[in-house]
Amino acid sequence: MFIDIDCSQMKKYNQNAFGDYFISKRYPDEAKLIAVLSDGLGSGIKANILSCMTATMLLKFIEGDQIPISKAAEIIMNSLPVCKVRHISYSTFSAIEVDDEGNAKIVEEGNPEFIWIRNGEVMRPEYKSIPSKTFKNRCLKVYKLKLELGDRLITCSDGVTQAGLGGGRLKLGLRREGLIILIQDKLKEQPDISSTELSKYLINQARNIETDRLPKDDISCSVIYFREPRKALVFTGPPYHQQKDKEYAELFANFKGKKAIAGGTTANLISRELNRSITMDTTISIGKLPSCSYMDGVDLVTEGILTLTKTLEYLENGTMDIDNAAGKLVKFLLDSDCIYFMVGAKLNQAHYDPALPIEIEIRKNIIKKMACILREKYFKKVNIHYM
Amino acid sequence: MAEKISVKVCLGTTCFVMGSSNLQELIETVPAKYGDKVEVSGVPCLGLCSIDWEFSKAPYVKVDDEVIKEATVEKVLSAIDAHLNK
Repeated sequence: MFIDIDCSQMKKYNQNAFGDYFISKRYPDEAKLIAVLSDGLGSGIKANILSCMTATMLLKFIEGDQIPISKAAEIIMNSLPVCKVRHISYSTFSAIEVDDEGNAKIVEEGNPEFIWIRNGEVMRPEYKSIPSKTFKNRCLKVYKLKLELGDRLITCSDGVTQAGLGGGRLKLGLRREGLIILIQDKLKEQPDISSTELSKYLINQARNIETDRLPKDDISCSVIYFREPRKALVFTGPPYHQQKDKEYAELFANFKGKKAIAGGTTANLISRELNRSITMDTTISIGKLPSCSYMDGVDLVTEGILTLTKTLEYLENGTMDIDNAAGKLVKFLLDSDCIYFMVGAKLNQAHYDPALPIEIEIRKNIIKKMACILREKYFKKVNIHYM
Repeated sequence: MAEKISVKVCLGTTCFVMGSSNLQELIETVPAKYGDKVEVSGVPCLGLCSIDWEFSKAPYVKVDDEVIKEATVEKVLSAIDAHLNK
């Protein structure tokens, strides 16, 4: 199973920093993922520092694997200082550790209780309470769940459940019940909605019920969705040994999932080996990139190095919806969960002619950087195969 | 009627940065000048720079079987004229 995870956030109005902090990391070797959402006391920079420290420290604690998640959370709970002004904890948190088999451990302190949805229904998991030995008003909730395909876990900061508090229609705010209705209605409409879209939808709804649509607190909502992975393959560069062209072309042909080719020579190679013709888009290329080509059974065919370099730049800057070959490749990548790169190691000497007016990077390096950003910023699973 | 003359503009990496991006205007200007006697298209790569790299004559354009090195709009147009007058 694939864990589709994302978090959407909004700042309290008039603040220039997020007071909630979300962090998530995948561990491909152990096939697991850890995510932490922390809400810092107050708002703005102070809250940002508190929540950031809590979330990153908790993540480090859990990933160390030397102590169980419940123990790590308990230590943090007992150590968090008390605010002198408000006499409450500096921050609250929710953390989850989940593997690809669906075994999940969740700890919560102070944050609204997470929502577990299966087939449109809310599940009521059992939990163990661990009261703090040092602070009377703190209590840790520890859950152990077995998730199934299609399950969703929604975690939010109290900015969501308390949205609209004291306002016109909802005197007590959105509350957990209101949030559940929002989720269920959206899931009826779009049963396969991605975590990115669902979390965005929920924070927008929360903002919309605030008076004057101004968030009175930081709003964060993270969604975890267990689903079949959407697989994608990018074939770029000719193999080092030409006699292996056929073998790799067949691997490409037999791949189950979406396919892209980045490279003119590579496209010709696949076309020759699989006996499929290429047609080039007749529109004149926009900007500084050659336009796409078309081949039967391939979702996207682009030029190589220039397009990959631009794609990397868009991914780094979070630039979306650009109408050129790199923009299309960005969309191709982000609409997938597991991305495989088949990277040919053959160099084209002509690319390294100093007479070429721009710097052209080595393909391997671009792909390495791209894999890194897809993993870390976009939470994708990435595999690279050099050939 | 004689067969159409085919013009293929290489839009591979080397050719593109060496100037074939400017040759794309042929896709519009050639049909306007020659009507349907000539067909212009971009191709992902003609594979010529990797053979010819020591002399670096990109961008390459093919007019039927004739390879035009260091192609410019003028060179391509005169090659088309030469082919039409054969």
